[in-house]
Amino acid sequence: MATRNRTTVYRKHRDACKSARAPLSDSFGGPVIEMVSGSFARSNHSSYAPLSTNDPGPSSSDDAFTIGLPPAWVDDSEEITFNIQKVRDKMGELAKAHSKALMPTFGDNRGDQRVVEMLTHEITDLLRKSEKRLHNLSTRGGPSQESNLRKNVQRSLATDLQSLSMELRRKQSTYLKRLQQQKEGQDGVDLEFNMNGKMSRLDEDEELGGMTVKLKEGQHVSAEREREIQQVLGSVNDLAQIMKDLSALVIDQGTIVDRIDYNIQNVSSSVEEGYKQLQKAERTQREGAMVKCATILLILCLIMIVLLILKNVLF
Amino acid sequence: MGLVTSVRDYINRMLQDISGMKVLILDPETVSNVSIVYSQSELLQKEVFLVEMIDSISASNESMSHLKAVYLVRPTSENVQKLRYQLANPRFGEYHLFFSNLLKDTQIHILADSDEHEVVQQVQEFYADFVAGDPYHFTLNMASNHLYMLPAVVDPSGLQRYSDRVVDGIAAVFLALKRRPVIRYQRTSDTAKRIAQETAKLMYQQESGLFDFRRTESSPLLLVIDRRDDPVTPLLNQWTYQAMVHELIGLQDNKVDLRAIGSLPKDQQVEVVLSSEQDAFFKSNMYENFGDIGMNIKRMVDDFQQVAKSNQNIQTVEDMARFVDNYPEYKKMQGNVSKHVTLVTEMSKLVEARKLMLVSQTEQDLACNGGQGAAYEAVTDLLNNESVSDIDRLRLVMLYALRYEKENPVQLMQLFNKLASRSPKYKQGLVQFLLKQAGVEKRTGDLFGNRDLLNIARNMARGLKGVENVYTQHQPLLFQTMESITRGRLRDVDYPFVGDHFQQGRPQEVVIFMVGGTTYEESRCVALQNSTNSGIRFILGGTAVLNSKRFLMDLEEAQRISRSGSHMV
Repeated sequence: MATRNRTTVYRKHRDACKSARAPLSDSFGGPVIEMVSGSFARSNHSSYAPLSTNDPGPSSSDDAFTIGLPPAWVDDSEEITFNIQKVRDKMGELAKAHSKALMPTFGDNRGDQRVVEMLTHEITDLLRKSEKRLHNLSTRGGPSQESNLRKNVQRSLATDLQSLSMELRRKQSTYLKRLQQQKEGQDGVDLEFNMNGKMSRLDEDEELGGMTVKLKEGQHVSAEREREIQQVLGSVNDLAQIMKDLSALVIDQGTIVDRIDYNIQNVSSSVEEGYKQLQKAERTQREGAMVKCATILLILCLIMIVLLILKNVLF
Repeated sequence: MGLVTSVRDYINRMLQDISGMKVLILDPETVSNVSIVYSQSELLQKEVFLVEMIDSISASNESMSHLKAVYLVRPTSENVQKLRYQLANPRFGEYHLFFSNLLKDTQIHILADSDEHEVVQQVQEFYADFVAGDPYHFTLNMASNHLYMLPAVVDPSGLQRYSDRVVDGIAAVFLALKRRPVIRYQRTSDTAKRIAQETAKLMYQQESGLFDFRRTESSPLLLVIDRRDDPVTPLLNQWTYQAMVHELIGLQDNKVDLRAIGSLPKDQQVEVVLSSEQDAFFKSNMYENFGDIGMNIKRMVDDFQQVAKSNQNIQTVEDMARFVDNYPEYKKMQGNVSKHVTLVTEMSKLVEARKLMLVSQTEQDLACNGGQGAAYEAVTDLLNNESVSDIDRLRLVMLYALRYEKENPVQLMQLFNKLASRSPKYKQGLVQFLLKQAGVEKRTGDLFGNRDLLNIARNMARGLKGVENVYTQHQPLLFQTMESITRGRLRDVDYPFVGDHFQQGRPQEVVIFMVGGTTYEESRCVALQNSTNSGIRFILGGTAVLNSKRFLMDLEEAQRISRSGSHMV
């Protein structure tokens, strides 16, 4: 894949042109200093000016090219990107916590489960916060290049968020499944162990009593497991809600909406449509009944005034 | 490496080194080049959050200096002028200029001169100057395609522009492949000869340093041929998926515009994408014939219904969770199924309305089998048939004329008259114009297999054996050309070398450029040939992708110009 870099040739010419221009303005003195200071300022990036989206831009100053700060919504998008990175890190931790919680231990691993719950809550919170922030990126007002830009940023972040939510859901569902397997397995193991362990005892009552105690304990454990499963399900449903909201924003790959030329055409056609609607609205307003009434009233008033003056003059 | 991968690599390289939010600025031609290989979601992943045309940049005054501008445009004088203005009044923080072909030094001077604010960070040439629809098929999407049919004296500057654009496109393809070819051209075509000679001049003299790539054991071959050597293929009706969609509805940059049919309900998709890179079903069915496609679509619909039924059967929370998990996949599958079903339904309707099965049978007979008398009868019958449309009548007469040009001129005349009387919009003398352009004297190859003794024998053998499918029995002339190249038997007399080029043995890569346009039937032929692993990789390119409507339009335009020219003389 061949390419050719023309930057050096270009730069040589640009410098030649600049030096050709500079001696011309030497006779005027002032502009030379401005230009030099301008380039100095540029190289130090010291001429910053906060720039809103409706600013006319650097057309006013033609010596130093002021680099403006990006508009406010870029902060939102940067924060969402930062959140996404945090979520990714936490997902790694969550995977580790899941595997630890699923390891068969003799004591109860409530501590590990707490960790899992906490992490899941944090991640879901981050995702929900990011999603709310995402809606801040939506624009009001007509289509313009700036709004198109915002929409595309929104789309890209929505895609990332959606893939993260899906990954989380998948992890949670495997964790759930494994938990359920363990729950059944553990009860079975308990009973088996009891059968084997207590069979050697000759005292049946004690045996039965022991078995009931073990059964009750087993039930207690499974009730706890049920609760945990319900909690995980709850967070699954939360995620489902987030995903539904996001899927409205995300582009379907492979469809016509994913084509660059389609999007460019649509922007220009929607701008045209908007303009046509505006024109129509203007026309309807002008021809509106209200306007007609107002004009008639005005004319009548004028006639009355004239009559009044005439009456006073003549009589 | 296919052409699609080459263009994608160019775009990836362009975007990867530039960090931060970017805006991609294209011109009307590079928009097609980029859209066909790169999707909007992939651009978003590369942090390109805005895509604009170079015209609309000048139109607005919004300053977006937090964005970096990446330009990918053709190095034409109009684009350079627009860039001049935009560099003098910069709206973006940084400017990275990528041109899709060779820049002249004067153009660099002009740009450097207007860059007073020094916003340009790099100027590069990335040779993505062609539309790569499929891995082995490219086109240049040229507008005034008819110019190749006219002699040079009619419009010298127009023909020069045409030839320049073709040479630029071919050069870009070889630069993307990093090869310098040996060049051959079709002797009987002046346009092909001119293009071949100018390409040789560019690659071996003017920019010989740029094209001086590592030599492989055998140089690749560039063969420049003329559409008029095979006028039959664009006139035939097609029955394989991709070719059929283009013939009946129209495929532009891998997009289908269903508005042309006009019979869709309001909420249906009006434009769909048919890309072999993104649609697995299309990739496995694009070269299949209509009957097989129907069966495969039915299978796909059945699979989808299975999935849909299981999705409706949601009883436990687990089912719900699984449904939400699989929802994106499900939606994508639904979109795909509905797209293919719509296309096949519309095409079936058109086939039914235009009685294309009847017409196409006669067409294939005209193209492949002999028997002048029977052919005359068949064509006359169809001309008398009321439900046959005008364009189909015209095509039938043209095919007949191309085949039986010299036999029985009386009957030929009768057909012309009948055609003129039946079709009110028929431009008088169009068939004769076609014969003048592409008649038996002008053609090099053995189009109907009736010149060479070997070909006649082959045809007879095929007739005895019988064909699998009457509607797809036609093989484009390109197939024979490729076979000759594979056997190393492409005749020097018919396809001479440019200058003192010479080829040792067989080439391993061959680019065939057809001046006047290619068809999807030919691109299918090339794809099937490539899949036989004969040791040679073929790439096909043209000035446009033709269907019968486009070919006839070019003919009419050329006829109109040559008529007005002769009046002036």
